[in-house]
Amino acid sequence: MRAFLKLVGVVVAAASIGAQTQTPGPQITNQDILDGLKDPSRWLTYGGDYNGTRHSPLTQLTPENVGQLTPQWTFQTAVTGSFQTTPVVVDGVIYATGWNNNAWAIDARSGRTIWRYRRNLPDDMRLCCGTVNRGFGVLGDRLYMTTADAHLLALDMKTGTIVYDVELADYKIGYSATVAPLVVKDKVIVGVAGAEYGIRGFIDAYDAQSGKRAWRFFTVASPDDKVGGHTWPKDNDAYKRGGGSIWVTGTYDPQQNLVFWGTGNPGPDYYSNAREGDNLYTASLVALDVDTGNLKWHYQFTPHDVHDWDSTQVPILADLNINGQARKTVLFANRNGFFYTIDRTTGKVIIARPFVETTWAKEIGSDGRPVLLPGNLPDEDGAKTCPDLGGGTNFFSPSYDPSLRLFFVTARETCANYFAYDQKFVVGEQYTGGATSRPRDQKNWGALRAIDPVTHERKWEFRYPSVSSSGVLTTASGLVFASDGDGNIMAFDSRTGKNLWHYQLGAQMRSTAGTTYMLDGRQYLLVPAGSALTAFALPARQ
Amino acid sequence: MTRARWTLALALASAVFFTAPLAGRPQPPTRPIVGNPAANNPHLGNAESIRSGMTLYRTRCADCHGMDATGYRGPDLAALMATDVADERLFQTIRKGVPGTEMPASDDPDDDLLQIIAYLRKLGAPPPAERASGNVENGQRLFAAQCVSCHRVAGKGGRLGPDLSRVGISRSRASLVREIRSPGEFVPPSFETVTLVTKDGQRVRGAKKNEDVFSIQVMDTRERIQGYLKSNLQEVVYEKGSLMPAFAQGRLNDNDLNDLVGYLTTLRGADLQVR
Repeated sequence: MRAFLKLVGVVVAAASIGAQTQTPGPQITNQDILDGLKDPSRWLTYGGDYNGTRHSPLTQLTPENVGQLTPQWTFQTAVTGSFQTTPVVVDGVIYATGWNNNAWAIDARSGRTIWRYRRNLPDDMRLCCGTVNRGFGVLGDRLYMTTADAHLLALDMKTGTIVYDVELADYKIGYSATVAPLVVKDKVIVGVAGAEYGIRGFIDAYDAQSGKRAWRFFTVASPDDKVGGHTWPKDNDAYKRGGGSIWVTGTYDPQQNLVFWGTGNPGPDYYSNAREGDNLYTASLVALDVDTGNLKWHYQFTPHDVHDWDSTQVPILADLNINGQARKTVLFANRNGFFYTIDRTTGKVIIARPFVETTWAKEIGSDGRPVLLPGNLPDEDGAKTCPDLGGGTNFFSPSYDPSLRLFFVTARETCANYFAYDQKFVVGEQYTGGATSRPRDQKNWGALRAIDPVTHERKWEFRYPSVSSSGVLTTASGLVFASDGDGNIMAFDSRTGKNLWHYQLGAQMRSTAGTTYMLDGRQYLLVPAGSALTAFALPARQ
Repeated sequence: MTRARWTLALALASAVFFTAPLAGRPQPPTRPIVGNPAANNPHLGNAESIRSGMTLYRTRCADCHGMDATGYRGPDLAALMATDVADERLFQTIRKGVPGTEMPASDDPDDDLLQIIAYLRKLGAPPPAERASGNVENGQRLFAAQCVSCHRVAGKGGRLGPDLSRVGISRSRASLVREIRSPGEFVPPSFETVTLVTKDGQRVRGAKKNEDVFSIQVMDTRERIQGYLKSNLQEVVYEKGSLMPAFAQGRLNDNDLNDLVGYLTTLRGADLQVR
C-alpha cells in the first residue's frame, strides 16, 4: 500500500510538472489588474489602470531624449478599416483587436504575428460606424472581446482559439458591441451599442470562468421603475428603443466596489417628441455595484439630449484636494462641451465649465442641470449649435497626470446645423429622426488642452489646424503623447505644452491612443493608426 | 450612440454633394448596384417619406445644390427634375457620384437615397430651365484669352485653378456667374490662397494643397508643386480671397459674361481615351 501511495505521489508530481510545462507564462490575476501599470512590462486594461488615467509611471523617455524616438517596427493588419484598439501587453506579446473582429497576438520585439483570430461575421448586421473594436480584457490565460454581432468571446491567450461565445443580444434588430471589456474580480463587464437602430442599451456582467451572465443593468429605465421611470413617457413604449449605448470602457473604484460607465445618447437622436422627459439613464454617468449591478448613483450630463451627445467618454478617477478637503472624484470631459469634476461617492457635481465653445447651455446650475440657451432645438430648417455632433471631445481617451494635477484632452472646436424630423420606427432600420450638416463657412479646428481639474483653468493648449480624434497618453517623466487630425504622433512637455517630437504615421489616430511598456530594458511607445501598429523606442545601445 | 459619426470626408463636408454625414462611417468602397431600387420606389408620393427626404436633402445635398434645390455650387436639381431624367439614373448618380466633380459616391442606405428622390420629385415644376445662352464661340474666345492660363479643359490649359472639363455638369449657371464675378466668395479645398515667406525673405504664393502642424504643400503660381517644412519658413500667410481675380463689369461686361457662361455650360467632359 505504501508503495502504491508512493507511486501515486510520483504520478501526481509528474502530472503537476506536466501541467506546469503545458501552461508556462503568466496567468493574469485580479491583483495584477489592480496593480495597474506597476509591472512596467504590461498593459492590462483599456486605460492602463482601473482609474482610467492612461498615465504611465515609466521614465526612460524624457523631455530631453524624446526627440530621438525612432520607429522600431510596423505591423500591418492587411485588413481594410482602422484600428480603434488599445492593445493588451503581457510578457513580450501584444494582443490587439481590429476591424471586422480580427485579432492578433504580435511579438512585441519584432512586430511579427504569433496567431490571428478572425470572426466570421454575418453580412446583415446593422452598424452605424463600421466593424470597429476597442480591445481585449484579460484574466488568467484568457482574452475577452466583444463582437460586431453583439457577442462576448473568451479566447485562449496562447492560441487565439475560442473558449466560449455568449450572445449579448440579437444583432438582427440592431444590437452590436465594440467596447473593450472591463474585467473586475471574477466578472467581465461589457455593454451593447446600436442606438441608431432603436435598441434599449444595457451593461452586462458575465462570470469570467463560465460565461454565465451575473447581472444586467438597463441604461434606459422602464416607465415602471421607481428610480428613473418618470423620465420616460408612460403612454408609449419609447423606452424600448431609447438608446443608451455602451461602447467605451468604464473604470473601477475597489474601495467603493463600484464601476463607473458613461452611457450613450437617447434614441431617436434628434427628433424627441415621442420621448418627453429626461430619458434616464442616457447621456449619463452611472455608478454600479460590481457584485450586483445595482445602481449606487447616477448623474445625467445632458437631460433629454437632442444632439447625439453620447456620454461615452472615459470617466477618470482622481483623488483631489479641493479647498483643503480630500475628495474622491471622477473627471469627465463630455461630448456636450463641458468638463466636469464630480464627487464619485455621491455623483454630485463639484465644478463644471465649458472646455470648448458651447452655445446650447449657459452653465451647469447648482442643481447639476445645464441652464439651457434658446434656439438650439433641432428642427426641419436646421438649428446651429456648438459643438457639432462629434462633440467638444469624444470617446478618444483623455489622460490624467496626478503629480502635476493636470487633465489632458483632445478638444474639438466645431458647430453644426442640427435637423430633426419625425420618423417612423421600423425594427432593424436606422432610427435617428434627423441629421446634421456643417454650416457654410464653418472652420473647425482642434487642440490638445491641459486643464486643472480643481479650478478648471486651462494651463496650456497646442492647436491643430484640423480636428483630431486622438487619445492621449502621459508618462511620469513629464511627457504627453497625442496626435493631430493629420497623422502626426507628437510628444509634448506636460508642464508647458511645448512640442518636442513628431512622426508622420501616414494615417489618423482615429480614436486610438498610445500605450507604453518596457521590454528588454527599453521603453516602447506603441501607436495604432489606420491599419498599422508602430512601435517606437530610443535607439538601442550598441 | 453614434460613436463617431466621423467621416473621412469631413474636411470636405462643405464642398461636396453628399458627404454621408449621418454616421461618419469610415468610407468603404463603392458598392456595386445590383438592380436599381429606384425602379420601384415605395416612397414616391408618401408624405412622411418626402418630409424625411427633405431633411436628408438639406443635410447632405443642400450645401452644394441649394436649400431650394435650384443650384448653388452644384447643378440646379429642380431644373433637372423637369427634364425626363429617370429616377434610376438619379439613384445611380447619387450612389456612384460623378467622377471629375466634387460629387462623391454615397454608401448610405438605399432607403435614404430613395427618400431624397421622393423629395426631389415633390418639388414640382421648376421655373423655366436656364439653357446655354449667349454666343458660345465668343465665350470660347474669351476663355482662351482670359481663363486658359489657369484652367484646363480637355487636357489643355493651366493647372493652378480647377479643371473645367466637366464644369457644365457640375455647376449651375448662377454659380458660374457668381464664381466669375466674385471668386473669393467660395474657394474650394485645395485652391485656398497662401503665401509662404521663407527664412531668407522669399515669398511663394500659391494654392494650398494640404497642411498639417509641421508642413504645408502648395502649387505655386508657376505651377510648381512642392512641400515646405514650417520650421524652414518665416511665416505662412493665409489669404481670404481666391488666386483668381474678380471679373467685375469693367473687366468683363454682361454680354461677354453671358457668352463665357454659355461656353462653360457646354463643357461636359472630354473623351481622353487613346484608341
